[in-house]
Amino acid sequence: MPDFSPTVYAVPLFVIAVLAEMVWSRLKRPEAYEPMDTLVSLAFGLGSTVAGALFGGLAAYVFIEAYQYRLFDFGPNANSKWWTVWWAWPLAFVLDDLKYYWVHRAGHRIRWMWAAHVNHHSSQHYNLSTALRQTWTGSFTFGLLFAVPLVLLGFHPAMLAIVAGFNLIYQFWIHTEAINRMPRWFEAVMNTPSHHRVHHATNPRYLDRNYAGVFIIWDKLFGTFEAERDDEKIRYGIVKQLGSFNLLWSVFHEWIGMLRDIWRSPWRHKLSYLIREPGWSHDGSRETSDMIRERWQERTGGEAISVAPRNPIESPGQAA
Amino acid sequence: MEAQALFLQTGGSLIAILALYFVARALKLGGKPRLGDEAQVRACAGEVEEGFDAQRVSIARDGAAALASDADGRIMVIKRHGNRFAGRILTRSATVREEVDAIVVDAGEARFGAVRLSIDDPAYWADAINRL
Repeated sequence: MPDFSPTVYAVPLFVIAVLAEMVWSRLKRPEAYEPMDTLVSLAFGLGSTVAGALFGGLAAYVFIEAYQYRLFDFGPNANSKWWTVWWAWPLAFVLDDLKYYWVHRAGHRIRWMWAAHVNHHSSQHYNLSTALRQTWTGSFTFGLLFAVPLVLLGFHPAMLAIVAGFNLIYQFWIHTEAINRMPRWFEAVMNTPSHHRVHHATNPRYLDRNYAGVFIIWDKLFGTFEAERDDEKIRYGIVKQLGSFNLLWSVFHEWIGMLRDIWRSPWRHKLSYLIREPGWSHDGSRETSDMIRERWQERTGGEAISVAPRNPIESPGQAA
Repeated sequence: MEAQALFLQTGGSLIAILALYFVARALKLGGKPRLGDEAQVRACAGEVEEGFDAQRVSIARDGAAALASDADGRIMVIKRHGNRFAGRILTRSATVREEVDAIVVDAGEARFGAVRLSIDDPAYWADAINRL
């Protein structure tokens, strides 16, 4: 059985690409980076690797056990080696990307999942270092269950791990403002910097949109696609910006907030704080992304707010 | 992954992370934006809280922070965070301390931190925050 982790080999390329983008930033937009923000994002990436090594064993155990109950053996006969079945690879990649869409969507719509995924969104910047801002606590959600149907279909867990690695590598390069738009055909099918900028935006229009990993077609298919508009500048981060570069707070703030809400709420509402969407509250004192968007639409009619530059404070030509 | 390989990978990554951080500093990326006028504060306040329509604004003399209030009596404190801005609508848990020519506003969130504003009308804001 091949033992191959594509992300390990991609790390040097990530470093070189971040360096290249920093040079671009120096020349074109110095405000695109903030050293402390970059340091926190990269520390997230490192911690995520360590957490994966420490806690990833549970997922591996679940998948290997589930594989024993697979419905199909791919290949010409039951003795075929799973990695030699060529057609299973592209199929696994596409189906894994479909799985990614749904686990990612759950990551934004279920607070338990959001508690882990919010880490990836808590930077107010959008650059290649943001791509490495990965969660430390994904193993403490039920996200792994989304992959179980693929294992039960007959895809070997190692094959799924490898295609998921390539999926993650693909998503690295789209975390940039250095690329405006890709060719039209590419934008139509693939996830791109433009589509993913929308996903990282806190503008009401853009909240909870574009969950795609590699193929943007899933968002178009399931009604969550929103195109980036040139007349509405994007601001990045989360609805309630952290205002802190404290790494541990950045990692655990949503877990702490969620557990605090569960602790303080009446019994009949405790479960809702776990499984309902972020921002939901039993007394209506907070807002979900849907509520924010609705209020914004009522206020503006859904028209673009003309001047909400990426950094709302900068003046033209002024480094922010 | 074997423990030794994990340690090596972690150590190498740590070195790369620190190197990238110092490169970002050496390239003078980031900067310190200033809140220059009330329009900027209003725009920023509207982004901190969708629809917040600032009626009264005071900007710290160093441009690093501001206070804004809306017609509903809500008060927002805005501070520079890195080279962006972040803000909070103050609640009853907010505290304020007056200094000679400034006020220190604590939104009640330890990690958000207290915000010191050297402004022209500290007494007005201190009174307004105390009345929340």
